[in-house]
Amino acid sequence: MASDQDLVVETVRDILSGFEPFVLTPERPWDEGLWSALAEAGLTGVGLPEEAGGSGGELADAVAIVRTLASGAAAVPVAEQLLVAGPALVAADLDLPSPEEPLTVAVEGTVAAEPSDDGDGPGRFVLTGTATDVPWAGVARHVAVLATPPAGIEGAVLAVVDASGLTASSAVNLAGEPRGSLVLDGVGVPGALLTPARAATLRARYALTRAVQISAALEQVLAWTVQYAGERQQFGRPLGKFQAIQMELAQMAGEVTSTAALVDAAVQALGRGEDTVVLAAAAAKVRAGEAVERVAKLAHQVHGAIGFTQEYRLHHLTRRCWSWRDEAGTELAWSRTLGAALVAAGPDDVWPAFTAVV
Amino acid sequence: MSSNQLTLAPAPPSEAAERVRLEVREFLAQELAAGTFTTHVDTWLSGVDPEFSRKLGAHGWLGMTWPKEYGGHERTAQERYAVTEELLAAGAPVAAHWIADRQSGPNLLRYGTEAQRKEILPRIAAGECYFVIGMSEPDSGSDLASIRTRGVRNADGDFVVNGAKIWTSNAHHSHYGIVLVRTGPPGEGPRGKHQGLTQLLVDLSLPGISVNPIRILDGGHHFNEVVFTDVVVPGDMLLGTEGAGWHQVTAELAFERSGPERFLSTWPLLAEFGRRAAATGDPAQLAVLGRLSSRALALRQLSLRIAAALDRGELPDIPAALVKDMGTTFEQDVVDEVRRVVDVPASLDSPDPLGRALAEAQLHAPGYTLRGGTNEILKGIVARGLGLR
Repeated sequence: MASDQDLVVETVRDILSGFEPFVLTPERPWDEGLWSALAEAGLTGVGLPEEAGGSGGELADAVAIVRTLASGAAAVPVAEQLLVAGPALVAADLDLPSPEEPLTVAVEGTVAAEPSDDGDGPGRFVLTGTATDVPWAGVARHVAVLATPPAGIEGAVLAVVDASGLTASSAVNLAGEPRGSLVLDGVGVPGALLTPARAATLRARYALTRAVQISAALEQVLAWTVQYAGERQQFGRPLGKFQAIQMELAQMAGEVTSTAALVDAAVQALGRGEDTVVLAAAAAKVRAGEAVERVAKLAHQVHGAIGFTQEYRLHHLTRRCWSWRDEAGTELAWSRTLGAALVAAGPDDVWPAFTAVV
Repeated sequence: MSSNQLTLAPAPPSEAAERVRLEVREFLAQELAAGTFTTHVDTWLSGVDPEFSRKLGAHGWLGMTWPKEYGGHERTAQERYAVTEELLAAGAPVAAHWIADRQSGPNLLRYGTEAQRKEILPRIAAGECYFVIGMSEPDSGSDLASIRTRGVRNADGDFVVNGAKIWTSNAHHSHYGIVLVRTGPPGEGPRGKHQGLTQLLVDLSLPGISVNPIRILDGGHHFNEVVFTDVVVPGDMLLGTEGAGWHQVTAELAFERSGPERFLSTWPLLAEFGRRAAATGDPAQLAVLGRLSSRALALRQLSLRIAAALDRGELPDIPAALVKDMGTTFEQDVVDEVRRVVDVPASLDSPDPLGRALAEAQLHAPGYTLRGGTNEILKGIVARGLGLR
């Protein structure tokens, strides 16, 4: 990792050290204090161009921030803002809301966009329908909504919705992170048409973002589990001295390391702006989800009963990972996407298609 | 885990590697069309075809990264990696030269004398000289330091070798073996038996060597037992440093364990399955294809990073163990996952190429997680990397 990112990571860690992860409740659905501290330090605009109101910096810097916050179980919508909604709005030439206010993304649901002539100039749409599974619904001040375009037009409409007047349903994921719905009742908003490829890239960015978060969280889970196995004594010696435990930890290391390599390669493909990023993201998301399956199970097994309690820190990450693997497109959906793409060029071209993914 | 042990620098794709990849792909398509080979599973151990190996040598696709003075081509590890992948994916007959090109040649470059290099490396690069690995023994298995084959210096300074090596792939086609022998007493302590081991470069045509076949489950013959009875190995065929055999073997295993053959042995089955999924369009089959591919892509990224690290002169033995453990588990899972979503019985006599590929992959499968160190041993190495032992 370049030294620039080391510095970013150090800064985020310093800030994080003042904020312990907590159990999310309807009364306290996010870490508002942490968000303010990050925003004050300019970290909620990293990777977004300065001329759009961001803090500048590279994609790698934004990824480093997201990774650090994910491994710290931070309850803030930074990943959605820095890696998904923010870049999508910038790419579509839409105005970026102030990075100091939380921005999220909505890609699921039944939202339809119709062109509007509400007198506020061109690039206006009226959105009608329900956006579902919206991360940080009720917390984020703005939402980048991916909506169905008017009849006869391919692709999608990306629109920016001010969420302050909207009510979010109270659904949460397995970790208690808000994932509610937003009802859009003919609201007029700025928006832009996206080609099918651009819309697919937006969805892929979202999936890859969850894979990045999972990868970082699983690295932390592995580190905690190795540490615990070295400290916890049973039958007169540390757990880590038992061969059966060593085998489980080695398996976890394999899952974590191979996932990290693929996720990193997909992020680099994204950074290079490659067309294949949709498939690279699909592969990374599927791989990360499968890693969660094994790593979380083994981590809880090695931690024993204490790791199954709310008082212990492990669940802050394992519950998030169990959720994140289902979000931004399920493993089944992304594995079908990848499989279909591998055979799309013809029955004999699976290998060439495979080597072109990443 | 100390991150410096498992986190390797990324290996961005190079244009040169993509160019040679397409050249090899074109060559293989022509050879397949001409019928000079047919695709099979696990051909890097069972597909012996000296003529095919010589063709690869003539194209400059063997000894690719070695210096030109030894018949090499001074190309990058990435270019070599691309060639290796293409051959494995096509299920081409590459077993004759595989060990020599992958492992023995680099070993000679690193530890060999000038005379040894000059004599042998150009022949390997030409696809005409083949090697066996002489590590394991009937009673040693994964406990490699317990080997009992001895090399005793005689009055002329030559080594008199007695003992037996087992699981020597393609010894019956090979010209040399790099044989690990005990030349001195073990030292004190738990790691003491690592001392007193030496690698010898053994000409397999020497008197006193017999090669006995061991057949595997599908009836194929690539394994052998090689017995040494008072074999006189000239003193100048010592490889590297006398007594440093353990260290040398450890370095060699990083090359052996991390390559794409550790997750692409069953690619011909996956490709055949891809053909089926393309024909049926069955969402369940496409999902399995996608899921298995995501695992292979992850292993590939890790393997590429290890290749780049080896190229930089690093010794990433822990990530290499990890690739071998994860990769060979994947190769076995390919059989299980595919057979669950296709209505095709596995049979070597199947009229359906998918049925034949399933049968080949299944009958070879027990070997994937054994060869190159059992996965339990490899997990032990990873556990040591995690600081647990």
